[in-house]
Amino acid sequence: MNVVKTRVAVSAMVFCLMSAPTLAEDLRVTVWTGNDAHLKMLNGIAESFKENHPDVIVKFETVPVSDYTQKLTFQVAGGNPPDIAWMMEDAAPAFENAGLLMDIGPTVKAAQGYDFDDFSQPAMALWQKGETVYGIPFSTSPFMIYYNKDMFDKAGLEDPLALAAKGEWTLDKFQETAKKLAEANPGKWGFEFKDGEGYASRMTHALLPSIRAYGGDIWTNGQCGFDKPEAIAAVKQLHDMVFKDKSIVPPGEQGDYFSGNSAMTDNQISRASKMPEAGFNWGIAPLPTGPGGESPVIGQAGLVVFEQGKHKELAAQFVAHMTDKENVATMAQFFPPARKSVLDSEAFINGNKLVPAEQMKNVSSAITKGRVHPAHEKAPQILAAMAPRVDALWKPDANVEDALKGVCAAIQPLL
Amino acid sequence: MAAVTHTNEPGANRAPWLTLKYREMLEAWLFISPTFIGFLVFFLGPLVAIFYYSMTEWNLLSQQAAFVGLHNFNDALLVNPDFWHVVRNSVIFAVGLVPFNMALALTLALALSRPFFGVVFFRTVFFAPVVTSAIAWAIVWKFLLQGEGGVINQMLALVGIDGPNWLRDPNWAMAAVIVTRVIKMVGLNMILYIAALQAIPRDYEEAARLEGASRWQIFRMIIWPLLAPTTLIIMVLTTIGSFKVFDHIYQMTGGGPENGTLVLAFYIYQQGFKFFNVGYASALAIIMFVIVMALTLVQVMLRRKEME
Amino acid sequence: MTQRQINVIYRSCWTIALLIAAIPFIFPFVWMVSAGFKSTTEIFGTPTLIPREWRFQNFVDVFTYQPFARQYFNSLYIAVAVTALTLVISSLAGYALARMRFAGAGLLMLFFVSALMVPEEVTIIPNFFLIRSMGLVDTHWPLILLPTFGPHGVMATFLMRQYFLALPKELEEAGKMDGLSRFGVWWRIALPMSRPALAAVAIITFLFSWNLFLEPLIFLSSLEMFTLPLALSNFNDSYGLPLWNLQLAATSLAVVPILIVYLIAQRQIIESFALSGVKG
Repeated sequence: MNVVKTRVAVSAMVFCLMSAPTLAEDLRVTVWTGNDAHLKMLNGIAESFKENHPDVIVKFETVPVSDYTQKLTFQVAGGNPPDIAWMMEDAAPAFENAGLLMDIGPTVKAAQGYDFDDFSQPAMALWQKGETVYGIPFSTSPFMIYYNKDMFDKAGLEDPLALAAKGEWTLDKFQETAKKLAEANPGKWGFEFKDGEGYASRMTHALLPSIRAYGGDIWTNGQCGFDKPEAIAAVKQLHDMVFKDKSIVPPGEQGDYFSGNSAMTDNQISRASKMPEAGFNWGIAPLPTGPGGESPVIGQAGLVVFEQGKHKELAAQFVAHMTDKENVATMAQFFPPARKSVLDSEAFINGNKLVPAEQMKNVSSAITKGRVHPAHEKAPQILAAMAPRVDALWKPDANVEDALKGVCAAIQPLL
Repeated sequence: MAAVTHTNEPGANRAPWLTLKYREMLEAWLFISPTFIGFLVFFLGPLVAIFYYSMTEWNLLSQQAAFVGLHNFNDALLVNPDFWHVVRNSVIFAVGLVPFNMALALTLALALSRPFFGVVFFRTVFFAPVVTSAIAWAIVWKFLLQGEGGVINQMLALVGIDGPNWLRDPNWAMAAVIVTRVIKMVGLNMILYIAALQAIPRDYEEAARLEGASRWQIFRMIIWPLLAPTTLIIMVLTTIGSFKVFDHIYQMTGGGPENGTLVLAFYIYQQGFKFFNVGYASALAIIMFVIVMALTLVQVMLRRKEME
Repeated sequence: MTQRQINVIYRSCWTIALLIAAIPFIFPFVWMVSAGFKSTTEIFGTPTLIPREWRFQNFVDVFTYQPFARQYFNSLYIAVAVTALTLVISSLAGYALARMRFAGAGLLMLFFVSALMVPEEVTIIPNFFLIRSMGLVDTHWPLILLPTFGPHGVMATFLMRQYFLALPKELEEAGKMDGLSRFGVWWRIALPMSRPALAAVAIITFLFSWNLFLEPLIFLSSLEMFTLPLALSNFNDSYGLPLWNLQLAATSLAVVPILIVYLIAQRQIIESFALSGVKG
């Protein structure tokens, strides 16, 4: 009897502690932000959805961003998909290809006052296949150069924003500036790849802006682009900056821009929220131009509805609500919009509490011109196949051309 | 035993077939059933299922599965160059880790098997990493092994050595992972050796010393042979443990650089859950199963031969 | 030199060698705690053991960036549940294997022995689908069921069996004479006598569950459900930026209490592991 009692007690205890399963009328939305301000805004949008759907409770569930796609995979494969999820651009094709995403086109287009054509066409490219719409971008965020104004002043250099205004913000100028900054600030660096990544993770994000500025791409239409002359020239320059000039934070080092250890970094507009606590003067400027002209690169995230979800029609309606004109304008304070009407609006340009209007104009223009990171349904395999070759690239004595040819040899069969 | 047949035992005379023997058997199975049922459901069942899985092409995301026979094994063993690279890494890891771990464990045990001032302190210290989570251990070492800012390299710089970027350098990453893993786990083997050493009667040693044997001779001729059973157990457990290593790799290197630390357990995870190839990952799991079983058998047989 | 002097020198050399060997075993812990008090900038600056500026705030921030208290609690109660379940079922099964004769015992032992050799990675994929079919993904059930019934549970069963075998039978016989049922004998006589083995199983099972990583990694996706090792491996702010100093502060918070318990009960804990190793 005692055993039975113990076991009942144990299972009862265990049961009480486990969170209760979601109720039938709940809509589960998986997101990767845990930021209070973001969640407050999202809950506000959910609240306004109640005006027309009084019984629906929308719950936002935070999944850590660093392992987000993997965790979403576990949820979907585990038979426990959310109704709606934020989805990163690189993950979308795999999920779409597996037939997991609902065509929400008919629902959103039918929503009152939605104006589907207001979305900028390049921004929709990733989320449409013919007439099928399997996602709506809620964040279309261009990569910008963040710079530490204090370090520029200390080195007596003109800042990127001023150079860009004069049309002199080129990759060569970028290299020269970064080198001078590193020399003027011993123990610190001129430039850090986004969030200190770029070598073991986000390998392509580190290379893409330069490659595009040279007029190339990492791959297009199933053709690897790393071994093309434009890409080789672009990567050679970055390689020189890391190992010859020692102006870019090298692999395995921490040169955190936000702690003042690097003078520049490339990142998205949402990171501006980290700046007030950084304790130095700063600004944002466009990415440097190259022989191929401008190369705005955007990172996207979309809202998708899962086919397996219990309330997919309702979920699609919520996506329509969340991405209508009013709510896109609301979200624009954190997530750059893909709606032209919002992008052009004074409210967007002037509305950012942290970034002055003059700099926001560059953001707006980068969104309109921007191109997303090339996507592929086998993105995880491609990145894994690429990883060892990219590791070989980031060594002081590496032959850049050979290393990039190796990259192409490794990924071409997968493309 | 016969005395147990009391008349006041309720079941004894109720059903004639419920003899003492059957009754005991029934009771035994009742005692065992929680473990046994759980074992069937969560271990044996899955072990059988994976043989079926391995013969399918099964996408984790779309949940589409098709029977493909031995295709996955063919793919792993003959087609995919990654597979042999991964097996090679796993073998390097085991070959580097097992002897190093055991030699260090035995040395420490020999030093700490007799009481002296501070013995408890040393045992406690060498065992402490064993109770620490591998993830926590790997997190800390990942910091210590940083390129230029890392503590290890800053210390090496004091004596004029320019340390490599340990975890990013393909020549060093595997070594760094092995050494940190050994430091984490050696305490366990040390304790097992200490227990075995303490079980050896001291007269053996005394007798040998009286006959003028050196310390080395005493170890070689008396202690080492007596430790053989313990050595075998430690060897088997450590080898299996080295093939299972996952969290350490996950946290410290993620399989890099240049796939230099991509070992079998991590590769299975990557194929199954990151690339959605459930069938292929299952075939890999079976291969891992076979390798571990074979290694265990070989070790047991080798040692048995040696002991004869 | 006399033999005594040689022995003193010999001993001192050993002690010095041991002290040097102890450095890589102690230093990571010391550095971890010290770095937990530093700012990110200082962690990557010139290394000093004593932080220039003590940031106690790190240990507060740990709880705001993630539901760390909840995650801590998850780890704790899961480990307690796994330990309690394992104690009950392994002592039942271990007792039967040690004391009762029944058909199939030999085969069962063979099965169990081979289970000890099989890494969890081998069965994790079918188990993922099994748990999925039970609708238990992103709950704590798989973290309780799999360790309890997997190879670790089998190991605990062997440990209990070994201990029961070494116990004198006389007391149990006497208990039977007094009219105790099999169950009564197990509960009133065998279990109270096997406290050391139960303690050993409890200690290693608790630590096994506490440090579990692969299962949480695969089964848990919501932050509030995370266990400590998973939370530690994922210490980023809402943009995915690594929070180095907070990660180290959190790691300290996860490791130090276990270390303190270990220091207090080191003899008992070390002996438990010694028992588990010689079970074969």
